[in-house]
Amino acid sequence: MLRFTVRRLVSGVILLFVISSVAFLLLNLGAGDVGRRILGPAATADTVALKNEQLGVSEPVIGRYFDWLGHALTGDFGTSWFTSQSVEQAIFSRLAVTLSIVIGATVVSGVIATVLGVWAARRRGWADKLVQVIAVLGFAIPGFLIAIFLVNVFALNLHWFKPTGYVQMSASFTGWLSSVTLPIAALSIGAIAAIVQQVRGSVIDAQRQDWVRTLRSRGLSENRIVYKHVLRNAGGPALAVLAVQFIGLVGGAVIVEQIFAIPGLGQISVSATAQGDVPLVMGLVVVVGALVVIVNLLIDLIQGFLNPKVRVS
Amino acid sequence: MFHWKKAVVILTAAALALTGCTAAGSADSADSSGGTLTLGLITPVSSFSAQGANWANQSPYMQAVYDSLLKADADGTIEPNLATEWSYNDDNTVLTLTLRDDVKFTDGTPFNADAAAQNLIRFRDGTSPNASFLVNLADAKAIDDTHVELTLSAPDPAMLTYLTQNAGLQESPAAFSSADVETVPVGSGPYTLNVGETVAGNSYVFDKNPDYWNPDDQHYDKVVMNYYADSTSLLNAIQGGQVNASTTIDNTTLDQISAAGYTLSPIENNWWGLIIGDRDGTLSPPIADPKVRQALNYAFDRNAMLQAFADGNGTVTEQIFPTTSPSYDESLNETYDYDPAKAKELLAEAGYPDGFDLTMPSSAGFGASNFALIQQQLADVGIRVTFEDLQVNDYITALVSGKYPVALMALQLDPTDWQLAQFSIDKSATFNGFHTDDPTVQGYITQLQTGTQEEAETAGKELNKYIVEQGWFAPWFRPELNFVSDANTDLTVQVGNSYPYLWNITPKG
Amino acid sequence: MTESITNVMPDTATEERAARSHLARRLLRNGAALFAFIVLGLIVLAAILAPLLTPQDPNFANIQSLLSAPSAEHPLGTDGAGRDVLARLLYGTRYSLAAALLGTAIAAILGVVGGLIAGYYGRWFASVSSWVISLIMALPGIVVLLAARAVLGPSLWMAMAVFGVLLAPAFFRLVYTAVVNVRGELFVDAARVSGVGDFSIIGRHILSVVRAPIIIQFAFVMGIAIAIQAGLDFLGLGDTSVPTWGNMLNDAFARMYKNPVLLVWPSVAIALTSVALALFANALRDELERSGRVRVRRRRVRGTAPAPAVVLPADVVVHPETTADSREKLLVVDSLVVGYDQPDGSLKQVVNGVSLTVRQGEVHGLIGESGSGKTQTAWSILRLLPEGGRIVGGSVVFGGTDLASLSDTEMRKVRGRRISYIPQEPMSNLDPSFTIGSQLVEPMRIALGISSADAKKRALELLARVGIPNPERTYAAYPHEVSGGMAQRVLIAGAVSCEPDLVIADEPTTALDVTVQAEILDLLRGLQKELGVSILIVTHNFGVVADLCDRVSVMRDGLIVETGPVRAIFADPQHPYTKSLFDAILEDGAARGHLEHAADRHAPAGGAAS
Repeated sequence: MLRFTVRRLVSGVILLFVISSVAFLLLNLGAGDVGRRILGPAATADTVALKNEQLGVSEPVIGRYFDWLGHALTGDFGTSWFTSQSVEQAIFSRLAVTLSIVIGATVVSGVIATVLGVWAARRRGWADKLVQVIAVLGFAIPGFLIAIFLVNVFALNLHWFKPTGYVQMSASFTGWLSSVTLPIAALSIGAIAAIVQQVRGSVIDAQRQDWVRTLRSRGLSENRIVYKHVLRNAGGPALAVLAVQFIGLVGGAVIVEQIFAIPGLGQISVSATAQGDVPLVMGLVVVVGALVVIVNLLIDLIQGFLNPKVRVS
Repeated sequence: MFHWKKAVVILTAAALALTGCTAAGSADSADSSGGTLTLGLITPVSSFSAQGANWANQSPYMQAVYDSLLKADADGTIEPNLATEWSYNDDNTVLTLTLRDDVKFTDGTPFNADAAAQNLIRFRDGTSPNASFLVNLADAKAIDDTHVELTLSAPDPAMLTYLTQNAGLQESPAAFSSADVETVPVGSGPYTLNVGETVAGNSYVFDKNPDYWNPDDQHYDKVVMNYYADSTSLLNAIQGGQVNASTTIDNTTLDQISAAGYTLSPIENNWWGLIIGDRDGTLSPPIADPKVRQALNYAFDRNAMLQAFADGNGTVTEQIFPTTSPSYDESLNETYDYDPAKAKELLAEAGYPDGFDLTMPSSAGFGASNFALIQQQLADVGIRVTFEDLQVNDYITALVSGKYPVALMALQLDPTDWQLAQFSIDKSATFNGFHTDDPTVQGYITQLQTGTQEEAETAGKELNKYIVEQGWFAPWFRPELNFVSDANTDLTVQVGNSYPYLWNITPKG
Repeated sequence: MTESITNVMPDTATEERAARSHLARRLLRNGAALFAFIVLGLIVLAAILAPLLTPQDPNFANIQSLLSAPSAEHPLGTDGAGRDVLARLLYGTRYSLAAALLGTAIAAILGVVGGLIAGYYGRWFASVSSWVISLIMALPGIVVLLAARAVLGPSLWMAMAVFGVLLAPAFFRLVYTAVVNVRGELFVDAARVSGVGDFSIIGRHILSVVRAPIIIQFAFVMGIAIAIQAGLDFLGLGDTSVPTWGNMLNDAFARMYKNPVLLVWPSVAIALTSVALALFANALRDELERSGRVRVRRRRVRGTAPAPAVVLPADVVVHPETTADSREKLLVVDSLVVGYDQPDGSLKQVVNGVSLTVRQGEVHGLIGESGSGKTQTAWSILRLLPEGGRIVGGSVVFGGTDLASLSDTEMRKVRGRRISYIPQEPMSNLDPSFTIGSQLVEPMRIALGISSADAKKRALELLARVGIPNPERTYAAYPHEVSGGMAQRVLIAGAVSCEPDLVIADEPTTALDVTVQAEILDLLRGLQKELGVSILIVTHNFGVVADLCDRVSVMRDGLIVETGPVRAIFADPQHPYTKSLFDAILEDGAARGHLEHAADRHAPAGGAAS
């Protein structure tokens, strides 16, 4: 187990290294005139040249990459070109915000999708059809429309929630809860659509297993069989989907954070990428890449726990 | 999903710029402690360091924490601030300012002539987008504690105005070398940044500076400035009553905003149209002929363009000078009434009866469908346009480096003719991308710089007329920018600045 | 309502083949799939026929008629640049579909080829490609797209090609997993051993397995690609010179509050296409899932009279008791009919009126060929029929109660503590995710209501009793860690753990090695004697019957044809079917292991085979 984890972590670090190199190269391919982008139309050519010199963007890419890498290895990701904030500070102050929404959405969508999926798989018939319709609609309706709809109904008309903004959990838990409810709901709907199909399929598959009949023959109740045994066995594939969803939700958070004006990673990734804020984008690439690596590793470990056959020794 | 809008914001925010002035503070508002003011903004802070300070949409952040040497009132008149008196020498190359002696920065460092001199030099040599404001500043030095002398390499008619804006911001010299100079401002302003409650890039919180020298300008105990990256979230925040006052992005949502109980305060401070830059025909020989440039002006239905681009909110125009300028000439707006036939005629006279091919840049930042309209109207007079699509960030670079003979652009309406000429007409102007050097034009500009007020005004008028007739640009309209405020908030918009000055936003009653 | 009744053996293999060959036809009969086909067909037609459907040029901007209302000239009005909305929608369909198709095709080609190679050949290619896939997945797509746009220019096709590469993992993972699973299958090994080339193995055996999942994935990914294409245009990263749904959405979004209807057309087009693709994929998957199993359609059945049970007449040969049996009748099955609801509303009957009696302490053999309905009979006693199966007629009286009429809750109380079950295939009948111990303890705690410590103690005793050498270790083991014989002992321990009155053993030795078979039979015999429990043993093996049973019933085509004491039937088989079974045993004696031994002891006529 430990060796497996270490091996995966090492491969993850190599992956991060390659991703950061590729991203750095790509970013500089599309860089254009950075100084002009930062200073806008009002600045004169001289000021732009001075800015470019300060940023060192006229130097060769290779040299700058190793310079970046050297600093990054010591935990110094530089400062954002556009907001002058330190990259580590910008990312970590926002990481918690995004994670609280994404984890919230993962939990909510995981639970709802599991309940719906199990229900559909057990009832079949109209329940199944209903769930399929929900899944197809959730798949087809773009997330931003859902978000706009939720804001208009629940914030602007019913005044149940604030339309924009984020309250720190440490400042007020209920405030936090009310500020993340709509974003989480907006994010969850698409994810539920994706996960429910998987849960339904896995449960149906698992229910057809011979051991389910044997468990029934032992006098176990249907609920116990489904929620303890079938779900545990269906958990592996469903969890893999959940992991993909989690990573997808980090992406989905971009839109939701924009619409709800939430200070998360999504918000800065949009602006940083559009502006070509190389230090900030690089920081984001590393952090999101690390998140992906860690989530995948965690999923593999949990898979092992759920399925003794693939448990790594 | 909403980059493009953000791109518009960045572009417009940057495009609209500058200038400012002073208001003596709404002294009649005795109520100087009005709780919390929440503002909506459409750009975050680029840098809190005075030497890198932006203006325009970022001016409220700066005005919260810094004082400027001079102040501009809502219509641009220069008023005292940290400097109580100012005087030029005879040839307008030495400016002497008398400074207040009772001001301290929030770190306790006293404000004095030496600090002012350091700040001015630092701004000139820094990387603010407007560093060139002080390009004519040869030196600044303290004569004594309360007198600073600015030596200019050439007269600069806009120097006093610059000192009311970011060029005049005063930061504590003790903070210059601080590691967090970019994020933690130390000024002498009416408020201080509450670093703990601020989420950079999202929400900036300012507390009242208890030791402020001019309490008349402190209308609130606390000011919160929220940045909205996207027009949908901004609209939601306004509709949800989460801001007391805000700028807007999108004129198509004004009905919704009014319905939510907000008062609209419109201002026109930029113009949209074509920069017909290749006046020497370097890239596109036909453009060298004034008749062709005039044809381009005749080709557009300006009213329809205003409708299409800005939902009808604004005023059509054929000149790039603002109505507040002494050079503005209403009669010039009848030079190029929409007349495709006339345009074709002119093209034929110029030797292009079958029109010609033209490559123009396009960018989603300006609204993709708008380019279809430009293409169609030029096609109607025989000019066949091919677009090269650019990222909004590269668009300006391409324009200022003269990559396209003709291009759509939105440019600021500077408050002084001198500034406007420096920005887009002079041979070295940023938006004279091909650096057209027309002796007539340069002559007028010299008059603007060194002439008497009367000479300057005459020269400005002539200059305006000349470039309209020569077809240097094809301006279409000045769109409205709407600033909105709720029932508890009063405000006065600022001529030439996209955001009202902070002290002009006050509690109602 | 008349319902057809077919009397077919549930032969899953043939059914599956039939199902696959009719997949296309069945898809057309599936409502959702039909809807999807029609919608997609119409959309494709609209794209092809765009010039015929509208005379307008989708790119012609008219500044004099901005945002005009629908009119004869512009049936859907005009957009913010005065362009005809209908024309843009129709021509936009061309570009949007083609772009999505391009992206999906590139993703599919890269993913499938990579997945096949990596899955089939494995080794370094698998590691390298898996690693590349992780790289692609972790790389922020937007950075790649922006860079591609900066280098290659703003082309719709180029952007979708880049996205195709980014989406390739969706196919790669699917194909890779499927191929790895199939590669180990016997038929692939067989093909390889018999010298079939790699390409034909991949083409014939492997591709055919992953084909359907690929089609499903293709439909899903294409739905995503359409959304992504729209998103790219929406972000201003697309190509504004061509009309696409995304460009329309972009234009409409800027005027969302003035002219919300503009938002409707591209949204509907995108949503309809995505829904149709998703429905198609879902329907295809459902149909594939459905093959090989009988599907219920309750809706059809509900509201109509239940299909009547048809008890087929049978000439049952009943051998008289040799001695009067005074033991109490524990289980009396009378005229049991079992059927499966068919999708068309008919009923497929698999047990046609079985009657049998099991007395207290009796070991009763139920013998017949596969497909004779003996397992269905056994399952229906426990009411553990697979989905769609139900008792259509007759009664199952156990200890004086008709099990067929009990509620689910009451039936659950019977299972385990009154009637228990030993399955045929030991390895697949243990939950792979739980330890053997926990699977023994859980039913005891529920059925007997004892503490977990007591249950554990009892489980260990039982494990020892069924002949497991190291009960502690097996208790803590997972099912995959023990052999088939061990697993069957565990299942037997589980079956007797709650002190049932009747054990139903469904071919308990069939899946085991010959040597283990004997041990298991010994174990069953020993336990039966010790506990005095009744056993109904389902088998096709007369050796087992001879070894274990007091009484035997011979089943054929869902009916009992001959029943009576084992001795009597062995001595004098009457029914031609019983006789033919005996003949088969004699011909095939050696293969049946126990038969010689059993026949030697019991067979009265004809002497033993050597």
